[in-house]
Amino acid sequence: MVTCKKILNALLLVTIINLVACKQQLVEYSDNNCKKNAAFINKLGLNASKAYFTTADKKIMGLVLVDASAEKPKVYQDSSWKKAGWLAPIQIDLEGNVYVGPAPFINVLYNPLSNQNTVYKVAAQSGIMAPFVQLPFDNSTQTQNPFGIIGLAYLCEANTLYVSTVAGSTIQFEKGCVYQVDATTGKIKNKISGIDVLGMGISYSSGQRKLYFGKARNSEVYSITLNEKGDFIGEPIFEFSLQGLGIRGDDKVRRIKSEKDGSLVVYGIEFNFNLVAPSEKLETIYKFVFNEEQKKWFFLL
Amino acid sequence: MGRVIQLLLLLVVFSCNNQRSQTVLPAYTDDVLQSVIADTTGYYNNEILQQQLKIINKALQQPIPILLCEDTLNSKQLVAQSIAVNDSVFVNGCKNVVTKQPYRCEIFGVYPARESDMAAIKAPYLLNTCFRIELYNYALNNTIVAIVDNSQQKVLAIQNNNQTQPDIPAYLKKIAIKIAIESPQLQQAYGLKPTDKDALMASTKTALNRSHCERSRHLCVAPTFVKANKALWAIVDLSDFKLVGLRWTNTGTTGPAAPITERKLQDDKITACFCEKETALQKDDWKMNYMLTSSDGLRVSAVSYKNQPILQSAKLVDWHVSYSGTDGFGYSDAVGCPYFSQAAVIAIDPPMVAALKDETNKVVGFVLEQTFKSEGWPTPCNYNYRQRYEFYKDGRFRIAAASIGRGCGSDGTYRPVFRIAFANPQNNFGEWNGNSWQYWQKEKWQLQQANTAYTTQGYQYIINNKNNNGFFIMPGNGQFKDGGKGDNAYVYVTMQKTLPDEGEADLVTIGPCCNIDYKQGPEKFIEPMPDNIENKQLVIWYVAQLKNDNTKGKEYCWAEAVLKNGMYTTLMYPCFCGPMFIPNQQNKN
Repeated sequence: MVTCKKILNALLLVTIINLVACKQQLVEYSDNNCKKNAAFINKLGLNASKAYFTTADKKIMGLVLVDASAEKPKVYQDSSWKKAGWLAPIQIDLEGNVYVGPAPFINVLYNPLSNQNTVYKVAAQSGIMAPFVQLPFDNSTQTQNPFGIIGLAYLCEANTLYVSTVAGSTIQFEKGCVYQVDATTGKIKNKISGIDVLGMGISYSSGQRKLYFGKARNSEVYSITLNEKGDFIGEPIFEFSLQGLGIRGDDKVRRIKSEKDGSLVVYGIEFNFNLVAPSEKLETIYKFVFNEEQKKWFFLL
Repeated sequence: MGRVIQLLLLLVVFSCNNQRSQTVLPAYTDDVLQSVIADTTGYYNNEILQQQLKIINKALQQPIPILLCEDTLNSKQLVAQSIAVNDSVFVNGCKNVVTKQPYRCEIFGVYPARESDMAAIKAPYLLNTCFRIELYNYALNNTIVAIVDNSQQKVLAIQNNNQTQPDIPAYLKKIAIKIAIESPQLQQAYGLKPTDKDALMASTKTALNRSHCERSRHLCVAPTFVKANKALWAIVDLSDFKLVGLRWTNTGTTGPAAPITERKLQDDKITACFCEKETALQKDDWKMNYMLTSSDGLRVSAVSYKNQPILQSAKLVDWHVSYSGTDGFGYSDAVGCPYFSQAAVIAIDPPMVAALKDETNKVVGFVLEQTFKSEGWPTPCNYNYRQRYEFYKDGRFRIAAASIGRGCGSDGTYRPVFRIAFANPQNNFGEWNGNSWQYWQKEKWQLQQANTAYTTQGYQYIINNKNNNGFFIMPGNGQFKDGGKGDNAYVYVTMQKTLPDEGEADLVTIGPCCNIDYKQGPEKFIEPMPDNIENKQLVIWYVAQLKNDNTKGKEYCWAEAVLKNGMYTTLMYPCFCGPMFIPNQQNKN
């Protein structure tokens, strides 16, 4: 009986701590900007401080490094950088490692569905790209939805990668997940299931570090609190919507960027789980500021 | 006690976890299924619109081709408007820079300026003598705002806002409502002809009225008619003065409903009615099912004529587009459904069934047609594809498609890949060798060339069974009077297989953009070991090769936007291709 009471008390204590922890996880503010230049860039004789990675070149499949220091930018591509087909999201960690996710462009010829749930990593030292983490595939993955990984975010202080995938989602079944991945080991630590997420970003509001993410099926933006280890705390909370804003009025969030003052810059695009690729980049940028008194985000411009 | 511990354990385990395997979303409601994509084109024949067109045309012929504000203005507003339209910078955007042709421009409103309007303007000025003049350019879908100071008799600032629309004037509100309530489709959906007073929310501009015409980039508003606890949205295009579509929504109690826009209306309707389910079609002596696929265009299946099975299915697998100017540059486009699809160019209208007429205007059958279009078409690097099935009363049928440009250059070659699966389980396939039909024993391919032999009727191939019951095949040689100039087609014949499936199910991209030889994809099902195809169920793959042209007078697979009456209209030069199947003697009735 005594043992039972002790167990009960211990459980009560753990529960209370856990519940409290879910409500409030104060972390020290930083703008989560820690990306470092990859060491291999200098070895190539390129100017690392003026170089950037892109996956947006419509004529070059895969990852591309552009050195913009000269009047005519130099373009570099390692042979391993196109092995995963067309790519989309990019994140760089505090050691200069580059993480990319595959995404079909126009067609799936170079992006078979079976490869769309793999995060690839370009090692900061060697510059070689290789599979980093293979996310689980849904059993009923089908051919209608050509996408897998469509969002990446990186949390500096916890060296954690957040990966959103919509693999297996259909028009009627929302099967997407947001995975928390240890960027050192590639180990999956946790996930949020049953939600299709497109763009993500990390910011800080109301004394809490949060992962913000836009839903892939509508214009809503949610957040989930993160603790100092980058773990998810509690459930996703609705923050604001792009509905009615911009020239289209129903943009989905491609990316969320946190400003130094804590405001959010949200990049909105049209996205309907198809391979339509507009000839002109139809992206609208929205800025939201957080009102601490009302605890609400407000659309600024 | 045990239960308490269990409960606490559950709390510990799940309080911070986020486990949920999938979210099941509701299927499309009747509101979506019964929504209407209006097929009206052009102007309604009513007095108000005819009068308005005269006013617009008159304005376009003026030295300053701007329709002045049609709403009542006071004397100060009239002065401000006059100062603005006499400012060369303000009106500069109302003519094409190169051709000097006028764009359809209109002053939508003249308002007292607000402090916020003056933020970038240096003093001195008197706020109470300043006005904000909003001009809308229908052709370019942009808004030009001038801040005018009447006391200084000048324009203080001009702002150009691309892809934006100002608040609409009151008279346009009336026209929008008129177009809606005069529409037979709205009257049918509403159950009776509504009155002007039944319309709500029409006075606000598109954004405030929570509707857009994203695809046409036209000025649209949505007069909304409430009935019981439902609201009927009528999206009206004020650039073309036409109804775009209709959809019921629940009025709800928790706030405004999500807006119904042109794109949402079209995509939801097409998905619910043509991507999620098959439609049965019975016409003349033909029966079939059709549906839009994820990436193989409009698919017909279980096609029969006079109850005789003809086709198991037919579809358009890919469009391979290569440009000779840059080696290896081009795209493999799939066409298909708007949501959850591998299509790069999507359906934005429902499939259309229409009468097929000959040169004497006599109805000889029917066509089943589908358009797939990029939103920016006909601007460069946007595409418009048309897929067409023709079914004749006499048992002939044709499987056709066209590109209507415009693509990324005038050095493009389009290669549509058709897959045509015949129903007969014991068919044979032969080619005309100049004297007789020579039957193929194994799977193979062949190119239609200048020295290809045809029968006197123009037949190149035959597909028939051991009873000689089947079809002659006539490839495109410019004889179909649809603008086509010849197909130069690769024809592949394969055996229909179910394990592994060789394309009966939706096919992912079958080949790259830029192969200029027979390697367009179907050869994968032939090489390296061709199967015997004698007395087998057969699939014909037909890959036409269509070279585009933008030479004046010879345009082909091309489209051009031209300015006419202040608006851009599109000149289309389709390059139709595809074979016709003609019943042989035994198959005729």
